[in-house]
Amino acid sequence: MLRNIILKTLRDRRRSLLFWGLGLVALAVIMVSFFPVIRDAPFISDYLESFPEEFLALFAGEVTDYTSPEGYLNGELFFLMYPLLMLIFSIGFGSGAIAGEEERGTLDLLLSNPLKRWHLVLDKFIAMLICTLLLTFVFWAALAAGGAIIDMGLNLARLAAVCFSGFLLAITFGSIALAVGCARGKHGLSIGVGGALGVYAYMLNALAPLIAWLKPFQVASPFYYYIDANPLKNGLDPVHAAILIGLTVIFLGIAIITFERRDLAV
Amino acid sequence: MTDNDFVIRTEGLTKLYGKQRGILDINLDIERGEVFGYLGPNGAGKTTTIRTLLHFIFPSRGRASILGLDIARKSLETRRRIGYLPGELEVYSNLTGAELLEFLSHLRGGVDWQYVQELAGRFDYDLSQRIKTLSHGNRQKVGLIQAFMNKPELLILDEPTIGLDPLMQQEFYRLIGEAKAEGRTVFLSSHIMPEVERVCDRVGIIREGRLIAVEDIDVLKERAIRRLEIHFAGSVSPEQFGNIAGVRDVQVQDNILTCTVAGEIDTLIKTAAQYHVVNLISHEPSMEEIFLAYYNQEDDRAA
Repeated sequence: MLRNIILKTLRDRRRSLLFWGLGLVALAVIMVSFFPVIRDAPFISDYLESFPEEFLALFAGEVTDYTSPEGYLNGELFFLMYPLLMLIFSIGFGSGAIAGEEERGTLDLLLSNPLKRWHLVLDKFIAMLICTLLLTFVFWAALAAGGAIIDMGLNLARLAAVCFSGFLLAITFGSIALAVGCARGKHGLSIGVGGALGVYAYMLNALAPLIAWLKPFQVASPFYYYIDANPLKNGLDPVHAAILIGLTVIFLGIAIITFERRDLAV
Repeated sequence: MTDNDFVIRTEGLTKLYGKQRGILDINLDIERGEVFGYLGPNGAGKTTTIRTLLHFIFPSRGRASILGLDIARKSLETRRRIGYLPGELEVYSNLTGAELLEFLSHLRGGVDWQYVQELAGRFDYDLSQRIKTLSHGNRQKVGLIQAFMNKPELLILDEPTIGLDPLMQQEFYRLIGEAKAEGRTVFLSSHIMPEVERVCDRVGIIREGRLIAVEDIDVLKERAIRRLEIHFAGSVSPEQFGNIAGVRDVQVQDNILTCTVAGEIDTLIKTAAQYHVVNLISHEPSMEEIFLAYYNQEDDRAA
């Protein structure tokens, strides 16, 4: 596990990955095991409709067919909980990748080796992709297994589509955090910028459908490309996925260019 | 002379940090097989120079080459041939020494593991210990091992003996000697004069970001100022000692003579030997005293 930067980074994360994985499995199992209660209580839909639309929009998106498996999972997991957790993980990863090493002082020894700076950033980015994808898979598998046990009748490919869409959203924000860390070398700043942008983007996407003047700006939010095409019902929207990938590549590029051109902090 | 004649060559190398002091117009020519000491107090610009050479920070003006390769354009190739010890060493302390060295060796395309074990043995360093459990001195050892383990053509060592106990310092000096014997080059920074005297062939003195002198170590020793304290059994006259060349600031109190001596102390010792000497104490010069020695003699020459 110490053969190269990617493996070393995965090795450093192994304990964190284990606990994140366990957490996501627990979340999936609890949410799925609660579904039969909702399914067998049709009045829940009426109850939900009694809430103000704005309130629901903020936490669960446009709630329709809440008693169907897709409607339930979208409202309870995929609108807020899942992307929130994935963003926390990827922003933490992206900000620690370069700025974390720089602040701990280990970057000098690392870069005294014959190692290009862009190569280091790319390796750290790849490690972030692998770890985030691993968590995505674990979450998908837990939902699929839980769904099978209670006979939820989920389409596993569509379930994979929404999980993967969340992965793309997570690496978009992870690469924003990476870029800030590469440009400024400040761990805290990079977590702050990544986290704040994540909250703004979420709010924009959640509230835009309700506020007329905000509506045109909804397409500026990466969350829109993650969930608006409803991948759990319709599968992955290739254009939306491509936009998230494009954003990720742009921020990776910014990370590399800024890191190549600046002085390393002591 | 071209870059290829020197292992390190800097021309007008300058790094400015806003109002903070950096380094100004550093010109260095370091030859193959040399052990070069870069001497100066803390904050003088030693680490800034070294981090510029490794391309961690980029010069504001001037240029530098290492092993004939431009540091900006050929940074990767130069780093392949350098062994580096950072001034404030921080390593992955969750790893054991063996794991850290294994990781670094992969980044460098492999090392002779037997030599790693030999180095660990010589430094009495336990490779199986997690680094976070080690004392500062033991961490410094793993830093030295990684710098030496590929037998690099050039060693750049920033304050290498900090935290090492005297026995390990001796071992370090032996390693420097071996590297020199094999024709490799060593550039080490230090703020301790005796250490530089002990291992270096040439010394560059840096103060407030400027290189104020580059001298052969023998010349530096001649110029070096020592503070001596001689305890006599009976009374002595200060005048007799004050007239000796190179001796200054003579004071006698309670049969104890104190003075400073520039260069040779032979005449002083022979004069003192005419009396009954009880004790003789020599104080190593501080960096400030070395600088003063330089400035005083520059003044003498001008006058």
